[in-house]
Amino acid sequence: MLHIADLVVRYGAATAVDGVSLDITEGEMVALVGPNGAGKSSLVNAISGMIHPASGSIELAGRTAQVPEGRQMFPDLSVDDNLRLGAWSLGRGKRDTAAIYDVLPELVPLRKQRAGSLSGGQQQMVAIGRALMAKPDLLLIDELSLGLAPLISEKLVEHLRRINTERGTTVLLIEQEVDLAFDLCARAYVIEAGRIVASGDTAILREDPALTAAYFGGFEKRGTAQ
Amino acid sequence: MTLFITFVISGLGVGAAYALVGSGFVIVHRVTHVVNFAQGTYAVLAGMLASRLITTGTPHGVGELLAVLVAGAAGLGVGAVVLARRDTPPFVALLITLGLVFVGLAINILLFGQNPAPSVPLLSGSVDILGATTEWQRLLVVPIALVVFGILGLFFERTDVGRAMTATASNRRAAQLVGINYRRMGLAAFAIGGLLGGIAGVLIAPSQQISPYADIPLAISGFTAAVFGNLSSPWLTLLGGLFLGVVGQLLQGYGVGSFQTQVSLILMLVILIVRARALNAQEEAK
Amino acid sequence: MNLIARVRARSPYPQIVAVTIVALVVPLVLPELTFYMQLLMSAIVVVGLSLFMGYAGQAALGQGAFVAVGALTVGVFTVQWHLPPLLALVCAPIFAAAVAALIGWPLLRLRGHYLAFGTIAILLLVQALMGVIPLFGRGIGINGIPPLIVLPIEDAQTRNSLLKLIYVVIAVVLLVVALILSHRVVSSRFGRGIRALAGSESAAASAGVPVLGSKLHVFVLAAVFAGLVGALGAFYFPFINPESFPPDQSFEYVIMAVVGGVGTLWGGLVGAIAVGILLKLLNVLATLPEMPAVMGPTLQYAGYGLVLVLVLVFMPKGLVPTITAAWERRSAARSVASKDPAVVSAPEE
Repeated sequence: MLHIADLVVRYGAATAVDGVSLDITEGEMVALVGPNGAGKSSLVNAISGMIHPASGSIELAGRTAQVPEGRQMFPDLSVDDNLRLGAWSLGRGKRDTAAIYDVLPELVPLRKQRAGSLSGGQQQMVAIGRALMAKPDLLLIDELSLGLAPLISEKLVEHLRRINTERGTTVLLIEQEVDLAFDLCARAYVIEAGRIVASGDTAILREDPALTAAYFGGFEKRGTAQ
Repeated sequence: MTLFITFVISGLGVGAAYALVGSGFVIVHRVTHVVNFAQGTYAVLAGMLASRLITTGTPHGVGELLAVLVAGAAGLGVGAVVLARRDTPPFVALLITLGLVFVGLAINILLFGQNPAPSVPLLSGSVDILGATTEWQRLLVVPIALVVFGILGLFFERTDVGRAMTATASNRRAAQLVGINYRRMGLAAFAIGGLLGGIAGVLIAPSQQISPYADIPLAISGFTAAVFGNLSSPWLTLLGGLFLGVVGQLLQGYGVGSFQTQVSLILMLVILIVRARALNAQEEAK
Repeated sequence: MNLIARVRARSPYPQIVAVTIVALVVPLVLPELTFYMQLLMSAIVVVGLSLFMGYAGQAALGQGAFVAVGALTVGVFTVQWHLPPLLALVCAPIFAAAVAALIGWPLLRLRGHYLAFGTIAILLLVQALMGVIPLFGRGIGINGIPPLIVLPIEDAQTRNSLLKLIYVVIAVVLLVVALILSHRVVSSRFGRGIRALAGSESAAASAGVPVLGSKLHVFVLAAVFAGLVGALGAFYFPFINPESFPPDQSFEYVIMAVVGGVGTLWGGLVGAIAVGILLKLLNVLATLPEMPAVMGPTLQYAGYGLVLVLVLVFMPKGLVPTITAAWERRSAARSVASKDPAVVSAPEE
């Protein structure tokens, strides 16, 4: 579904993504973990076409939709309007929101509420729903748990799991909360300073002593971001 | 008392036009963060064009409509130039619109001459209201402006394109993410600004002796009305415009002289200075 | 090639001296000084305006307001109150500075368009006041402004010519002072790197846009120049009335600043000369006998508009930075080709 080969992304003189290759097959849920500044967001933005890579290739079979970092609501519009706009690129007539409320029933009472007045967790749900409106084959989620209480993040993860099993949507989850990411995803890539430093089944990655020592003690302590 | 009412009514008429010009400022600014100096030029263009068309045989209604559409096209043109480069800072964009105002002025003078256009009211004759004699034409302006504002509101709240424009205004990044084309939204905003300016021009040209040189004074009064509305609320802009129009007409009517523009500017300065803190906090929050 | 690079890297004082000499010689060969005086006056205003616009990233669309304040000061002091002309000349920039401080204080902290309109507001208000207040001339204006200094020459014509020449010289001196002060600001720690047109607003903001206080300083400085110009103009012409300060003139200043390149040392001067000459040519063109009357204003406004738009869209940094950059590129390329080790110019300061 997604095949990236030797991708390089630059911001001016700085190289954010330095020769990354990864593969995701249809229906998978894959995590991308790494410390701040490792290049995760740049990679995701390149996949969704927001920025152009300096070199390398991205082969994508299908549509992507991004759940952006920080939720990025349209604060003055209602929840329903936010959702409708998610299907903007699909064209008039394809913007019916009913299906999303089936997937995310917690949003039903909030339909007419201003998106700017919602809590973080609610906004994150709207962001996911908005992305789903585009009927993507690949869902890119950038920092799901940022600023949210663990309980809320876990609930969202449950929704994602259901979305994946019921709709077959492929998921790429970028996360700093490694435990959360590994709970959801069967496979993961670890990225640091723009390079993939480890990859494989999350069950195995969890047991790897070198990685555990280096990464799973908490990324904040490492302070390797340049 | 009857004099007072006459002045108030004509003030409302003029003020509604300022509000329409002002709402053009608001829409363009919300979506693109640009203050479009040419808002007044659209009004002049449409007003003089309508007058020319009608005096040369085009029926009423058709002439006005054509003029408004031409103004909309002019708006699109201005937008195309302003948005030509992706990285133009708003400061530069303002200056570009200033340059286009001059180009527009040159075109208007070339096409229509320097003198005010002959007045061709849609409705002739007058009516007595509360003892004051008012021309029917003047009474048209406010209801039509209200209808336009209503349509505008519906557009932004009920149509997908309108919502997309509001979205672009509030969160450009997310709009991009969802596939909304910023440049297209910006052009649409400029075009709507042109239409609004055109409607203003067509509405007041019959009662207000518009010449090409009315462009900047109209822009200034319209901008002041928009400042009332914090450059973001069309309804507050309407209120501000009406207030401005009435005050200006009262001053002129009671013999102090024709100081509409100066009045607008003083009011604007006062609002800005009084609101400087609040406006500043709002800017920083963006 | 290297000589020029080195010359430019060092202080601009040699060029300033050269410009001074030229500026002082030119009036001696001109048959009539009015256009030259107008050019000088515009240049002084624009040097200050360019500095402000480049520094603060905002446009003052009504800079003529401060010119008007300066001129009014002279008119009122000398004709209405019979005070010494020199006193009036000294007070003119002070009043201009005061007005600038008054409106700059609230408006400079807001987004650029508010100051843009705010300065137009002041200009139109001053014009309106000149139209109604008797002290300010009440529509007729103030006439018969006395000379700045009394020359002991019998013949009125010679005396007037010499007087005008003296005013021109004073203007040149003012211009030089403006250039020097401008250089000091441009090459200071703040001036370097603040290129409001060069990047997006947010980039400028995160790079440390100058605090309100510094913006205000430069705004007031520009107003001081404008006020002095107004005062000098009042002596030169020697009258003032509301039509002396049309908004068009203020827009012209902005166009000159933009065309030359805001925030650069020479941008203001180059812009004022380039646009001033262009407009004069258009004027001459429009007054040719075959031209219909409507061509006068049409050409003038089309000139303003097209110059501004074309420069902003295709050469947004203005003439001076664009030409300088092109020059640097060529000299760098040539130096690389000739493998000249002395390419890197030693930066001054």
